Amino acid sequence: MSKAIDLNATPVLSVENLALRFKGAPANIIDGISFAVRPGETLCIVGESGCGKSVTALSLMGLLPRSVAQIMSGTAMFGDRDLLELSQRAMADLRGNTISMIFQEPMTSLNPSYKIGDQIAEVVLRHKHVTRAEALQRALQMLDRVKIPAASSRLDDYPHELSGGMRQRVMIAMALANDPAVLIADEPTTALDVTIQAQIIDLIEELQKETGTALVMITHDLGVVAEIADRVCVMYAGHIVEDGPVESIFDDPQHPYTIGLMSSVPSVGPRSGRLATIGGMVPTIDHMPSGCRFTPRCPFAQANCKTSPPPLDELGPSHRAACHYAPLETAFPATVLQEAGS
Amino acid sequence: MKLPTRDRIIETRSLTKRFTSNKGLFGRSVSVSAVNEVSLDIRRGETFSIVGESGCGKSTLARLLVRLLPASEGAVLYEGNDISSLSEPEMRRLRKDLQFVFQDPFSSLNPRMTVGALIEEPMKVHTSLSRKERRLKVADLLTKVGLRAAFANRYPHEFSGGQRQRIGIARALASGPKVIVGDEPVSALDVSVQAQVINLLEDLKAEFDLTLVLIAHDLAVIRHMSDRIAVMYLGEIVELAPNDPLYDKPLHPYTQALMRAIPIASPHGRSMDVSLTGDVPSPLAPPSGCRFHPRCPHATSLCGTEKPVLSDAGGARMVACHHWEKIAENSQGSVREPPRSENAEKRFALFREKSQRQEPVTAATETQIKLSERSHNNA
Ligand SMILES: Nc1ncnc2c1ncn2[C@@H]1O[C@H](COP(=O)(O)OP(=O)(O)OP(=O)(O)O)[C@@H](O)[C@H]1O
Ligand SMILES: Nc1ncnc2c1ncn2[C@@H]1O[C@H](COP(=O)(O)OP(=O)(O)OP(=O)(O)O)[C@@H](O)[C@H]1O
Ligand code: SF4
Ligand code: SF4
Ligand SMILES: [Mg+2]
Ligand SMILES: [Mg+2]
Repeated sequence: MSKAIDLNATPVLSVENLALRFKGAPANIIDGISFAVRPGETLCIVGESGCGKSVTALSLMGLLPRSVAQIMSGTAMFGDRDLLELSQRAMADLRGNTISMIFQEPMTSLNPSYKIGDQIAEVVLRHKHVTRAEALQRALQMLDRVKIPAASSRLDDYPHELSGGMRQRVMIAMALANDPAVLIADEPTTALDVTIQAQIIDLIEELQKETGTALVMITHDLGVVAEIADRVCVMYAGHIVEDGPVESIFDDPQHPYTIGLMSSVPSVGPRSGRLATIGGMVPTIDHMPSGCRFTPRCPFAQANCKTSPPPLDELGPSHRAACHYAPLETAFPATVLQEAGS
Repeated sequence: MKLPTRDRIIETRSLTKRFTSNKGLFGRSVSVSAVNEVSLDIRRGETFSIVGESGCGKSTLARLLVRLLPASEGAVLYEGNDISSLSEPEMRRLRKDLQFVFQDPFSSLNPRMTVGALIEEPMKVHTSLSRKERRLKVADLLTKVGLRAAFANRYPHEFSGGQRQRIGIARALASGPKVIVGDEPVSALDVSVQAQVINLLEDLKAEFDLTLVLIAHDLAVIRHMSDRIAVMYLGEIVELAPNDPLYDKPLHPYTQALMRAIPIASPHGRSMDVSLTGDVPSPLAPPSGCRFHPRCPHATSLCGTEKPVLSDAGGARMVACHHWEKIAENSQGSVREPPRSENAEKRFALFREKSQRQEPVTAATETQIKLSERSHNNA
């Protein structure tokens, strides 16, 4: 069961109607998405490859140059500041400090030629008024907290001397060194084996409990979502097609994409027949359908889906889905289906 | 558990593969036993899966089975014959009978050949079909794997990951094989596409009477597809069992830990458990005795010195652990997925019913077929 989150608490990060377009692209790669995280809350953004999860994270972190990805609309309120309005410089002051990010591939953000202790200390020195010795002390403390065995003997290791799981721990240590209010984790366990994934997820949850950091976790793994999320946003082709508390998403899935995704994942329980499949594939930016972007793959699609984009409608307590025909059993009674099918 | 030879399509006997590398101190060459004394039988017509964590030797074992790699010691028997000492014609037959599907659909297809030429190539080598017959068969295979016959004139880069994997499968089928060995054939694919390819493999297996050897690290995919499963750890098989018993009651402590680490796709089953600490040790210096002992919660002093042998555990199962019987008494780690809610069941059924009445692949429009390169796939 998810932990008790005060739903009336003010979100630490609140994204409204964010739209992004790559230079020269015919459509928005992120097209009007909204989400919010509260202190201590874990929000999972789930979706398949290419649906825009990383682009969303990078844009919030100010890591996508505006010359490449243009912001078409939206705000991203972090306290009383709009991240999308901040200068590069102001953003650099926040990054790694009050808002930090863990990347899928740790080697892209660890510098191979610096000792890991120095790299963590550097992040502390960049943002806090401390001496070098104090920063190194903090680095040691963080390595301890992420349960790197014999941490003091590891301070002088270079990244290549660590296993994949250990590098991911170092990344977490670095990301949390300044007690950020928000942590964005982009598939932090995707490259890892299940036993190591279990260790890392457990660690992230434990640290989050201690610090009250709000966590935005990006993943394509519904198992990880079920394990860690308080709230879930299901993303498809740059849209959020469904969002809600984790229990609602799994127990009362409303959007055909959510339903298709869930039923195409094999279960670890006894086999229950053939897998359901979603035909076709995620559209590319050059062929983005107008109207509902899921139309070409949706088994429920009707003529109007092609032309009119469905709004995110409230279907339950803080549970929304963007489909003209949700709930599906009302729009498509099973009996009618059977008759039509025979 | 001895089967008559005709039921065993592939056997390995104390199969060992050592790689030497220069990673040692002062450039000294060191040797890694990527696969260490593996003995197993694969039965005709079954789906036999090999599971284990990264680096445990799955790919090496798979390559040994089809002689893409020579063994250092031990033997692989195909239909009773040692594949390391085959005559030329026998070797050709082996190549025809055993086909390999690679994990990476992006690098395993020659980019300069058309899809048609790629699929036709094995027929040229292994069959006496005429040019015209081969063309017809290419068209037939393309439709069988859910693509269009007209795609024969296109090049691999014009296709998406799932489609390239289908092309790889069509090519593997072209020689008329008896066994297909798939090394993580669905791992690189998105879930929705992965489901398409899993269904395809199952259909083709039934249609062509294939034996399927499947390498994977995804325990849910393995559960869904396999008849029997071998669990590997550091180059060795630690447990071998039929599908349901393995998931219901894993016997080896490593299998138990793996099962407990699976994240279950239900918020009511939050159960993922950190039962294993530490990393897989380096295969350069495998632990003495039981290779799992430094991470095993049940290890005794015996485990550090004496190597457990893979032995019969009843019920057609085998396990390599000194203490499995005692551990089995209070076996933990069976995988339980809580039942789905009524609403979820209802909508899943509706989705299934609706989508089955659409042709999943041909529903994709021509424009969708040509995927512009996805950034991370360019590697
Ligand atoms: N710098 C860029 N310029 C142009 N297009 C880009 C750029 N970065 C990403 N894209 C495209 O934007 C889309 C979304 O990419 P993104 O990396 O956000 O996907 P994702 O959801 O994170 O997928 P994955 O699960 O594979 O990581 C993709 O089609 C990608 O090719
Ligand atoms: N050509 C090679 N030369 C040297 N060592 C090798 C070679 N191929 C594999 N190895 C080593 O053998 C061991 C087993 O590798 P293998 O690729 O079979 O593992 P795997 O189980 O397939 O892993 P993964 O899940 O990561 O694909 C590893 O330690 C690997 O580093
Ligand atoms: S709006 Fe139409 S196409 Fe989109 S998900 Fe709903 S039924 Fe399918
Ligand atoms: S032999 Fe010993 S160390 Fe190995 S798995 Fe069994 S109990 Fe654990
Ligand atoms: Mg990404
Ligand atoms: Mg491999």
